[in-house]
Amino acid sequence: MSEINPNRRPAAILYLMLGMTAVLFLTPLVWMGATSLKPERQAASQELRLLPDPASSTFSQAAKNYSEVWNDPSVEFPIYLRNTLIVAGLAVVGMTISSAMVAYGLSRIRWPGRGAVFFTVLLSMMIPFPVIMVPLFLVFRDLGWIGTLKPLWVPAWFGGAFNIFMLRQFFMGIPRDLDEAALIDGLSQWGIFWRVIVPLSRPALAVVALFHFIYVWNDFLAPLVFITSRDQFTLALGLQLYQSKSGLTPWNLLMAASTMVVIPVLVLFIMTQGALVRGVAAAGLKE
Amino acid sequence: MSARTRNLISGLLWTSPWLVGFAVFLFLPLAMSLWYSFTDYPLLKPPVYIGMENYTGLLHDDKFWLVVKNTLVYSAFAIPLSTLVSLVVAAWLATPGLRARGFFLGAVFLPTLVPMMAAAMVWLWLFNAENGLINVLLKFVGVSGPIWLNDARWSIPALVLTGLWGVGQMVVVYVAAINEVPAALYEAATLDGMGPVRRFQHVTLPLITPAVLFNVITLTIGSLQIFVMPYVLFRNEQGQRDSGNMYNLLLYDNAFVYQKFGYASAMAWVQLLVVLALTGIMMFASKRLVHYRGAA
Amino acid sequence: MTTPGDISRRAAIGTLAAGAAWFAAFGPRSERDAIASKGKLVLDYWEKWTGIEGQAMQKIVDAFNASQDKIYVRYLITNSIHQKSLIAILGGAPPDVIGLYAFNVPSYSEARAILPLDDLAASHGLKMSDYASGLHQVMRHDGQWTAIINTCGTLALYWNRAIFRECADALKASGVDPDKGPQTIEQLDAAHVATTRVAGGAPLGKGPLERAGFLHLEPGWWSWIWGQPFGGHIMQDGLATCGSPDFVKGYQWVQSYPRELGSEHVEKFRAGFGPYGTPQCAFLTGKVAMCVQGPWMANLINQYTPTLDYGVVPIPMIQSLADPARPLGVIDTDVLVIPRGCKDPEASMQFIAFTQRPENVEALALAHCKGSPLVKVSESFYAQHKNRGVRLHTALASSPRAFVPPPVPEWTEWKDGFDSTIQDLWRLRGEPGPAMERLQARGQSLLDQAAARRAMRGERNG
Repeated sequence: MSEINPNRRPAAILYLMLGMTAVLFLTPLVWMGATSLKPERQAASQELRLLPDPASSTFSQAAKNYSEVWNDPSVEFPIYLRNTLIVAGLAVVGMTISSAMVAYGLSRIRWPGRGAVFFTVLLSMMIPFPVIMVPLFLVFRDLGWIGTLKPLWVPAWFGGAFNIFMLRQFFMGIPRDLDEAALIDGLSQWGIFWRVIVPLSRPALAVVALFHFIYVWNDFLAPLVFITSRDQFTLALGLQLYQSKSGLTPWNLLMAASTMVVIPVLVLFIMTQGALVRGVAAAGLKE
Repeated sequence: MSARTRNLISGLLWTSPWLVGFAVFLFLPLAMSLWYSFTDYPLLKPPVYIGMENYTGLLHDDKFWLVVKNTLVYSAFAIPLSTLVSLVVAAWLATPGLRARGFFLGAVFLPTLVPMMAAAMVWLWLFNAENGLINVLLKFVGVSGPIWLNDARWSIPALVLTGLWGVGQMVVVYVAAINEVPAALYEAATLDGMGPVRRFQHVTLPLITPAVLFNVITLTIGSLQIFVMPYVLFRNEQGQRDSGNMYNLLLYDNAFVYQKFGYASAMAWVQLLVVLALTGIMMFASKRLVHYRGAA
Repeated sequence: MTTPGDISRRAAIGTLAAGAAWFAAFGPRSERDAIASKGKLVLDYWEKWTGIEGQAMQKIVDAFNASQDKIYVRYLITNSIHQKSLIAILGGAPPDVIGLYAFNVPSYSEARAILPLDDLAASHGLKMSDYASGLHQVMRHDGQWTAIINTCGTLALYWNRAIFRECADALKASGVDPDKGPQTIEQLDAAHVATTRVAGGAPLGKGPLERAGFLHLEPGWWSWIWGQPFGGHIMQDGLATCGSPDFVKGYQWVQSYPRELGSEHVEKFRAGFGPYGTPQCAFLTGKVAMCVQGPWMANLINQYTPTLDYGVVPIPMIQSLADPARPLGVIDTDVLVIPRGCKDPEASMQFIAFTQRPENVEALALAHCKGSPLVKVSESFYAQHKNRGVRLHTALASSPRAFVPPPVPEWTEWKDGFDSTIQDLWRLRGEPGPAMERLQARGQSLLDQAAARRAMRGERNG
């Protein structure tokens, strides 16, 4: 048979299928971007075109749409961006450090009860957020956090189950001899963690940080429940606020607002695609 | 102090963030919600114990059964279809010698990174019956599209479609799993005269069952908890309230709109038990079906 | 291994992170911080209005802020305002003034989420008797003054005079005066038939629609009003009665429309309507000849289709009940309330009292195109008003037949049942009789359960 050679070029039909798949997956985003560049009338029409008519007006129209959204006095996107960045920054730092520490305790030290603690990590991944959403709100209230951004970032400093799980898998793969050598050199556990484990795990830690950044950036339900004041809105909430005005908000502006929220993630994705994809694969493969 | 005690102390210290976080942000709320599920708790008044009333109330609540049905129907379509689509795309992407793999993989993966809220806005626009891209394209090829969000029959298909758009993460996991299948096995299968489809069926699939299990469990939990997409697509003026109503939407309504915290907590616990049971069943069934390399 | 690509990528990520950190640290700050730093008390006022309506309220807020130098009110648009506010009050971080919908007041009041206003209002010179009689049922709950009317909405039937002129002969033949609009349900039916156009002139139900006379679900905001024109009531003497024969008649009437026009045709037709608030909404484009709407409709007409020749009549009742002296009035108002736990109730009231000065009430009503909630209305108000139906809308608030949805906390959930039921009936899923009986049972069980729970807590039953 002719298929024995594994280096045989894939058939053209495969490229065709993959090309169509890629188009299907990208179309919603492309259409979102295209709509955001058009004047209102062209946006809400059945014309199939990517750029406004005339195409030379693309830049001026885009500038108009985006500045209108950005400067809308009733929906303060700049403030929401700032809030989102504050939350994301604090949460990402806290999540990465604390998850790494917990994962270290669960992988590099043998102690009675380790299995039980790891089991709580696994179990917590199965708890649907709505189950605890309501009482969690009351806990935050009693802590005096409602009306602040704290509910969105403080919990991250206590680690996240999925990230602990992933880092634990990674740490397990680091040879134990390294610790022992370090111990002989007189390093404490703390020293081993910072001088041996962390430097060796930079790629895994970067993936945790990236994923958590994207998670915080995208999270909608937690801000919906825990954030009450407009001063603390995040971008995802602001976007919904923008939509609920949609009785009077034209599609081109709504899509411009959406594009604004998507673009940072898009840029981050393009810059870190390899690491992200490896991270997902690693998390899914290990049992 | 013995080494054992020392290790215990340092183990507890290292994991203390998780232990504290778990106690305060998971266990405590979980226990509270269990207690509330046996109370009448109208938000601003203190909870009062009412026994099983919330749970028996659920049995007689038409709305509850409606969202149970909708959520199950959605899951029954979304889980197999998403699995099928992601497996097929992954098989294509794992083809040896494929060029521009990064681009294709990126295109499929990208949608999973888009904020749900923004994604939902885009779909709201794509599904627009008059000027939405989907119907405009259908019209272009001479088909008169359905009115999507205005037609109860199309509510769940529309949701499933948006779900398919988000299979990127699963595709990536499958591609990685397929790449780990030893090439020698394919060569042997090819020598036995198997075509690509049968090779996938008889060689690849059995060897990637752990990844399938992982994905199906994640997908099941996700499908049962669907919230943002139906929230945006159907909680608007023209949306189909009932046909697009999902379990977590009703839970949210009960908690924060109808002010029935107790009732909402009962719903939450039913969901938790169902998720735990389903996960347990899948894990158990997988013992027989899933092939772990090295074990066989 | 480090390649040049890695370095430039790292540099790019570093630059981005630095930029983000800079923005987080020194980015724009909210207005609140800026004003509070000047020693003023900042009050947050949450309101649902956007667009023209929001700008009009903002003007009054600005005037208040300029009128004194101790309090600064921030006007904040808030979506899903009744949920957000409740969560904020529960969390102990409420705003200071909330612009709710009238139907939220009972549940808020019951939950003690808002302050009783009797004393506060009196000390600022507000009197219940200054407001139109029909509105009192909105302002009081359980014998306490709980809400203050912000703007007064009453629903009426808007009809397109141009379409009526076009169909004058057919209308006259079926007993409708094309210059007066429909006066009874029977006339509304006749006008609907006369003004509906099916493609190719086919008979009703035999083809796609080009124009509909009247569609109950355009817009579908008031799913619960249709029993009233037939003499039914949603609730009477504390009992759910929306399954009563008279009430059911209303929903049989609703369902008769898609039955007659063909459900598929109706849905295809409706899918082409733009949403409310856009120039493509059905009444503005003449796709429907009549619709039930509030006075704000005139704002849309003036803004998008100023040439549209429209008339406004009360929502008709059936012939045997119709009485020009006692027109049917559905009250759908916006209210101001002071949430529990706000910073300074006295200051909140001071702001509310400012909004209630007759000149401010009228200025807001003018901008919103609504009638006045006050008993005394200045002639210049009517003279300047841009809604032809303003006198009618104002009068409806004082009609003995002015009604509000049942003032019980359970209404929120019950109403969702109405929304679902009318959608089902409209799409010919189910018969009105059994459907409304189920809805009545549902409402009654909600009421009973709430009463039992109140009794259990030792609270009195309202």
